[in-house]
Amino acid sequence: MRLKTASEVINFAKEVEEKSAEFYEGLAKMYSQHGDVFLSFVKENNKNKLWVQRVYQEVVSDALETGFSFEGLDTDNYLIKVDLSEDKDLSEVLKKILEMEEKIQKFYIDAAEKSKSLLADVPRVFERIVKRREKRKLEIKNLQEVRL
Amino acid sequence: MAILEEPIKEVLVLKNYIDGEWVESEGELHDIVNPATRKVIAKAPSSTEKEVDEAVKAANQAFPEWRKTTPLARCRCLFRLKELLEENFEELSRIQTMEHGKTIDESRGETRRGIENVEVATGIPSLMMGETLEDIATGIDEYLIRQPLGVFSCIAPFNFPFMVPLWFAPYAVATGNCVIVKPSPRDPISQVKLGELVDEAGFPPGVWNIIHGGGEVARALLENKDIKGACFVGSTPVAKEIYKKCGEVGKRVIAQGGAKNFIVIMSDADLEKTIPALMTSFYGNTGQRCLSGANALVVGDDAFYKKFLQEFVDAASKIKIGYGLDEGIQMGPMQSEEGKRRVLGFIEKGIEEGAKIILDGRKVEIKGNYPLDCFLGPTVFENVKPYMTIAKEEIFGPVASIIRAKSLDEAIDIIHTSRYGNAACIFTSSGKTAREFQYRVQCGNIGINIGIAAPMAFFPFSGMKDSFFGILHGQGKEVIRFFTESKVVIQRWW
Repeated sequence: MRLKTASEVINFAKEVEEKSAEFYEGLAKMYSQHGDVFLSFVKENNKNKLWVQRVYQEVVSDALETGFSFEGLDTDNYLIKVDLSEDKDLSEVLKKILEMEEKIQKFYIDAAEKSKSLLADVPRVFERIVKRREKRKLEIKNLQEVRL
Repeated sequence: MAILEEPIKEVLVLKNYIDGEWVESEGELHDIVNPATRKVIAKAPSSTEKEVDEAVKAANQAFPEWRKTTPLARCRCLFRLKELLEENFEELSRIQTMEHGKTIDESRGETRRGIENVEVATGIPSLMMGETLEDIATGIDEYLIRQPLGVFSCIAPFNFPFMVPLWFAPYAVATGNCVIVKPSPRDPISQVKLGELVDEAGFPPGVWNIIHGGGEVARALLENKDIKGACFVGSTPVAKEIYKKCGEVGKRVIAQGGAKNFIVIMSDADLEKTIPALMTSFYGNTGQRCLSGANALVVGDDAFYKKFLQEFVDAASKIKIGYGLDEGIQMGPMQSEEGKRRVLGFIEKGIEEGAKIILDGRKVEIKGNYPLDCFLGPTVFENVKPYMTIAKEEIFGPVASIIRAKSLDEAIDIIHTSRYGNAACIFTSSGKTAREFQYRVQCGNIGINIGIAAPMAFFPFSGMKDSFFGILHGQGKEVIRFFTESKVVIQRWW
């Protein structure tokens, strides 16, 4: 789905964070040996969601190009489904998670770029989330190494 | 994306808010219709003269005590109101979309701008401070005190039903005055919701009142001798009339009128960034905004003009139109059928006078199954001459007139042919050109690479020529001056 308005982009970001939180919660239960790491991701997702919501609400203005600045953002480019069936090997899951995180990160990078001239504080939050996700990817890679 | 949930589930019967109570009016009720769905969402009264008098009486009775309330205590009420507005941010925004038709992004933007005025007004202990000078003569000091005057009225327009009363009311009450807000009779629901929050915030009874109605109620407020001043935003003929009336009876007045805003696009403008800004300027709020772009003045050679026109029309033709609670919508309906009819009349006039219609908004396609009664698509006219009706008159709808100018000088000359002076914007990558524009153009609000030159709450909302009648403007420090009398004390002690 192609996103056009700020409202759609913010809502999509919130959904991404909500689904991501749900996903890692499930993962924490399934792979309890790494439960702490996954639950820290959940906490971070919830914070990201709050940040995104708050920053949008605080800077949105009727005078800004909220309806016209997000051409070219397509949700299909940023979503990936990770199968969490019981028999899945954790290393396979981790590989998929990395792909998923990269796609989400790409969404924030693209959305930050599109909103740069628009809502000054929004791209800053998006970029902050990009950095957090970079760290998250490193933690996932660490888990991969532990597995090896 | 799904359509957001409507906060109004059943037809509301709106009441007046007088002396801290919600009072049923004896006046006739009229329907408030959601312009997108055409469903009746509320019934609002046309209040009687007696009810207007009651509101004025309540406000006047509340004034002496409220005036004595310390500025800090007054601003604490505003702090509580600010918190309540944040808590109810989404509901307030969705109500605006339902009553007005604007997109949810636009409504949220309006809510935010309203809140910003409450935030600025909370600074009243500093904003209201006077001035002192010791020893104006030996042993004699002189100082200035700002004192509130009494009761003010605020007559609101339909295009920003929530925000505009907040350009005035928070400052009126922060400075120790009492206020009577008359919401637009077309979309008064968000003001009622705001009134509920005012009540919850704990303002004493009579300090903030709401009275519904149209022209008759406005007239009664203007004629009432116990009201010290009026704030009005609306059309130029009414603004002029109000200014005149207030002058006759000695009331203070801020009367903001109509507009016909020019947007100059220089050939060195960054078109990639300019086009989205122009879409918001010309088509945001469905063109029903006193800061909207109306005439695009393109300065450049044929190649630039062709490129600009193609990109402008291409972007305008892609605008998604529909119900503003659908998050994917970029432009909502006109607020009323009457407003749409008026715009259609201008489009016909444009064709009749020889302008070339290159994007015809009369053939509108919308997302969703809604009656087309109030919907119009973006319209673009080319070959528009400054003397044509569509270039001169305020259309207040999604219509862009493209005019060519040979140079910045010619563009400024064309701008100065307009009787209005609300806003003018320029898109350029030259600082020199921008400065020249800002320096010479006779308009109150100037945008440089900004399509909507909307001043923030801490700046005055300016305006010149037939766009503004008065001396002091709404918002910022000027509105503090408006709501206070300067008393000078000269003091000597033996």
